[in-house]
Amino acid sequence: MSGTWISTRAWLLMLPLLVVMIGVIGWPLVDTVRLSFTDAKLVGTTGSFVGVDNYERMLTGSSFQRALVTTTWFAVVSVAAEMVLGVLAALLLNQRFRGRTALRALMILPWALPTVVNATLWRLIYNPEYGALNAALTQLGLIDSYRSWLGEPGSALTALIIADCWKNFPLVALIALAALQAVPRDITAAALVDGAGPFNRFRFVIMPYLAGPLLVALVLRTIEAFKVFDIIWVMTRGGPANSTRTLSILVYQEAFSFQRAGAGASLALIVTLLVTVLAAAYAALLRRAAGAS
Amino acid sequence: MSALEIRNIQKRYGDVETLKGINIALESGEFLVLLGSSGCGKSTLLNIIAGLAEPSGGDILIGERSILGAHPKDRDIAMVFQSYALYPNMSVARNIGFGLEMRKVPTAEREKAVRDTAMLLQIENLLDRKPGQLSGGQRQRVAIGRALVRNPRVFLFDEPLSNLDAKLRMEMRTELKRLHQLLGTTVVYVTHDQIEAMTLATRIAVMRDGRIEQLGTPEEIYDRPATLYVAGFVGSPQMNILDAELTGSGLRIAGEEAFPLPETFRSAVTAGRRVKVGVRPEALRLASADVTGIRLPASIEVMELTGPELVTTARIGEQRITACLPPRTSLMPGSAQVFCFDEAALHLFDAENGRSLLAR
Ligand SMILES: Nc1ncnc2c1ncn2[C@@H]1O[C@H](COP(=O)(O)OP(=O)(O)OP(=O)(O)O)[C@@H](O)[C@H]1O
Ligand SMILES: [Mg+2]
Repeated sequence: MSGTWISTRAWLLMLPLLVVMIGVIGWPLVDTVRLSFTDAKLVGTTGSFVGVDNYERMLTGSSFQRALVTTTWFAVVSVAAEMVLGVLAALLLNQRFRGRTALRALMILPWALPTVVNATLWRLIYNPEYGALNAALTQLGLIDSYRSWLGEPGSALTALIIADCWKNFPLVALIALAALQAVPRDITAAALVDGAGPFNRFRFVIMPYLAGPLLVALVLRTIEAFKVFDIIWVMTRGGPANSTRTLSILVYQEAFSFQRAGAGASLALIVTLLVTVLAAAYAALLRRAAGAS
Repeated sequence: MSALEIRNIQKRYGDVETLKGINIALESGEFLVLLGSSGCGKSTLLNIIAGLAEPSGGDILIGERSILGAHPKDRDIAMVFQSYALYPNMSVARNIGFGLEMRKVPTAEREKAVRDTAMLLQIENLLDRKPGQLSGGQRQRVAIGRALVRNPRVFLFDEPLSNLDAKLRMEMRTELKRLHQLLGTTVVYVTHDQIEAMTLATRIAVMRDGRIEQLGTPEEIYDRPATLYVAGFVGSPQMNILDAELTGSGLRIAGEEAFPLPETFRSAVTAGRRVKVGVRPEALRLASADVTGIRLPASIEVMELTGPELVTTARIGEQRITACLPPRTSLMPGSAQVFCFDEAALHLFDAENGRSLLAR
């Protein structure tokens, strides 16, 4: 039958990719699962089977719980701020004014920077001795003396969130701007004639067009924020006093700093599971949104 | 008192003059159709009336008050868009009532107004649906309902029927006419369809290149087109335009035998002037021995039976002419025939500037 033939051909065509995928994702995953049930060290011993010991220790340990809270806080606050900032920026850039095109291009810059560059940039801004933030706040009279924004447990996470927002809100803005441009002009004109003010126009007329694309942005950004590693590693390495230690940082420390490959593997799998659950929840949400419209 | 007055409205986009001074005064209850080909500035004028665009010069008065600079919502107008512009996420009922909702009309009053409007448009059974679940004609009704429910002083329509198929377009045209007769509202209606204009309008403004070419009742536009452009734009099939020359007090069409110039044109015409003759296809008949009138010998080329009439194309010298003949007429392609028409059906235009030479 032709149907069988087509599906056979489809599988044949996908085979090379499948082999590569199994090689670079499948096998390491399986090996990580194996590792997670051993007490293997990074070097020296290949470890012996210890059952669910690693999982039990991780899930009940305070490091994991604290990292989970830190990660969740980081993800929720930074993504929320990015969404709000992104939509506001998009609304602004959707207005007609001179220099709009230049500004649109400029806005993408933070997002186009490599994370490491962005992180270094913000480390300079936050620098306790010659940082621009300290200078600005002192000159405005908001603080009396220079502070170490990244060195104090009370402010480090917030400082990180700000840096992450600055980098990532352009993505949300870009997606929102594209969605805004898809709003038919007649519809906004009709809303004007109907007497809807700016807020009602946004809420009732524009928001329905934004909701779908924003949901996609939300999914992408939450999952990314939940896995955050590089910006934190460059700026604080999880410190001070572990106040910025997210799950990915913890995984790294377990596996590489403390050389506990087995424990690190179990933790990595837990994070993977959490992200998968998130992704699945969002997928369901997206399907429901698609069905509703 | 005029319901809507458009005074010398101009609009410039950069160096391009889109509207070059439009003047129209509308009585309450009039149905004005802005008729013109694509790009002549119809939508621009409508948007200026609605407040969606600002004019570069001139003034707009609704009920004797200038509304220039007023927000669209404060102009006492409602608009129906070509694309319907329904809010896709709202039910039909909410779409219709949205204008009232935004104006903080109490819920009970609003619901009653929506129901009454839906009844008038025969869409009560659709009130809970979303626009996506409606057919084109139903969406059009909802869009009209959204305008009707607010009971504004002036309705603006921008090519509301152009997205509908031919049959539905005719139905909705009749429906619009019924509503206008029933409600007696003032309407400004944009279209490039001359049949819509003829059937709906109490007055037509034929626009061309940002100017009004002629403003008049459908009868005036059809019977006494002021320019060649109007003559060619209104009427289907188009009016026949033939080259002609004046010979003393006679008129020679397409090099045929000259005939005496009808009385009405004598004063307007000087001998030797180049002119164009206009004759509507429906004014032409096949000449028989006993009919009087102006005669045009022609050779038949093509006959097309549309049902009610036989549209016949023929040649007169180097020029083509179309005639709408009775459907049972028997003709042969290539045969020589003589068309004739009454003096009253003759239109004469200046060949240079295209203006009608009818003495007024
Ligand atoms: N925002 C604008 N900027 C520049 N030119 C414009 C703008 N809007 C309209 N125009 C020009 O003004 C002219 C008239 O446009 P308008 O939309 O009024 O035409 P129209 O008569 O409604 O045509 P159609 O039947 O195609 O809708 C066109 O040549 C168009 O290119
Ligand atoms: Mg238009």
